[in-house]
Amino acid sequence: MSNQPNTATGCPFTGELPSDPAELAALMSTVPATHATDAPPAPGIEAPVADWVTIEDLVRDPFPIYRRMREEAPVHWVPAVNRYMVTSYAACHEIEQDEATYSADERNSLMKRSMGHSMLRKDNPKHQVDRDAYGATLRPGTIKKHWNAIFEANNERYLGELLAKGPGSDFVWDYAAPYTGENLRMVMGFKNATQQDLQRWSQTLIDGTGNYADDPEVWATAAASSDEVDTAVDEMLSHYVGNPDHSLLSGLASMPIPLEAIRANIKMTIGGGLNEPRDVLATTVWALLNNPEQLAAVKAEPRLHSVAFEESVRWVAPIGMYPRETTRDTVLGGVALPKGARLGVVLGAANRDPDVFEDPEAFNIFRPKKAHLGFGGGVHFCAGTWIARAQVAQVAMPSVFEKLPHLRLDPSSETTDAGWVFRGMTRMPVLWG
Amino acid sequence: MPTVTFVQSTGESIEVAVAEGTSLMRAAVTNGIDGIVGECGGQAMCATCHVFVRPEYAGALPPVSDDEDEMLDCTTSERTEASRLGCQVKVSAELPSIVVDVPADQV
Repeated sequence: MSNQPNTATGCPFTGELPSDPAELAALMSTVPATHATDAPPAPGIEAPVADWVTIEDLVRDPFPIYRRMREEAPVHWVPAVNRYMVTSYAACHEIEQDEATYSADERNSLMKRSMGHSMLRKDNPKHQVDRDAYGATLRPGTIKKHWNAIFEANNERYLGELLAKGPGSDFVWDYAAPYTGENLRMVMGFKNATQQDLQRWSQTLIDGTGNYADDPEVWATAAASSDEVDTAVDEMLSHYVGNPDHSLLSGLASMPIPLEAIRANIKMTIGGGLNEPRDVLATTVWALLNNPEQLAAVKAEPRLHSVAFEESVRWVAPIGMYPRETTRDTVLGGVALPKGARLGVVLGAANRDPDVFEDPEAFNIFRPKKAHLGFGGGVHFCAGTWIARAQVAQVAMPSVFEKLPHLRLDPSSETTDAGWVFRGMTRMPVLWG
Repeated sequence: MPTVTFVQSTGESIEVAVAEGTSLMRAAVTNGIDGIVGECGGQAMCATCHVFVRPEYAGALPPVSDDEDEMLDCTTSERTEASRLGCQVKVSAELPSIVVDVPADQV
């Protein structure tokens, strides 16, 4: 076997790897994750009922809840959210690898109601038709050739605005949100909207997707945004017919995809394409600011930016839970599930499973690398994974720590994180002088 | 049935029999082969099913597509001339057996 390395091109996100194997090994040891599960006992036990779980507690801090649930059983019936919650790594991984038993096309889906029927709630072969329509826009080659330069320009602008606003301004709302919003606006090709529109659309549509409390005001606001997005999409599809570029909407303008599918997929992308990179950027910086030794290591070794990014996605998965529905009676992790059971696949819990990750509650960029489930798995693996890695780990993080070498949390002001379906920093005042 | 032999960096060798048309990634994931993750389920989007194909089998393989090529630039273990994404290589009547080496690092 030829082992001559091909050094003509490197990954645009992680840079060239060290050529010395000892150096590489010293930088990061790698141990494969263990996915094996014991054969479940037939017919399976009845799911324990977690009637002590409240939505309020989940929003504030879900991790102690997940720990208690995982210690008891990998699957619970949770009355407060009206579904089974799956909290072990093995059981979540089993669901991701078996789309025949665990359908993404759930009934009475909050996401379908908020955003329309997007590819995220379709099973194959229907899912694949929509996904293929997204083409090359989000792939590493296009990012390297086209988007990275745009992300760098946007980063300079919005980091500049944070600096101009002065110490005490909010890292999330004065920088991470407008930066990722503007990146998303350009990747999607919304020439007829602002990054503020994208932020508003994203938040209100996502609030609908996570509206487990069934708040009518949340539904009304989501519906208004949905109408606005439809109008903007229709206008841009007409524009791009004669004026193609690299954007998603431009690519979709020439595809034989029904308009309803385009509209739904675009809304799903507005949701996932903004909140997730915004939240990972803020969470990763927050975690590093709280762990000075790790921050020093990242500053000394730029290749660790991508390691810190992945550890952050493991530690606080920005999409903490997604739904599935069983297509038949089955047994998952020893727990019996009837056909039609509505599940919550809790990535935020799976990624802290002590059976897979040592000392899982700690943020530790030096832990042995293992496959986390933060980007999902199987055919619904996040299509924006490489876009997120590029704009956060490759562009934003190095720039933030270079231009603000004394960046720190403002001790005189509260920092908060919140959420469980989606989780991230909601308030993060910073100082840098 | 076609067979796929996965050789780990430790030297351990595991042969599995799979149906025609099965990708190397699916063969590995279904049979619990360590070191093949297959995060994206075959979309050529994650580069976690990287394998090194032994040269005597390379001639029977379909060429590397543009999508596969750009993902092979993003593998954790360094890319070589023998590198392929397991999800893009399927066993068939034309390729009834294949031996591949599993990289030491996959994520």
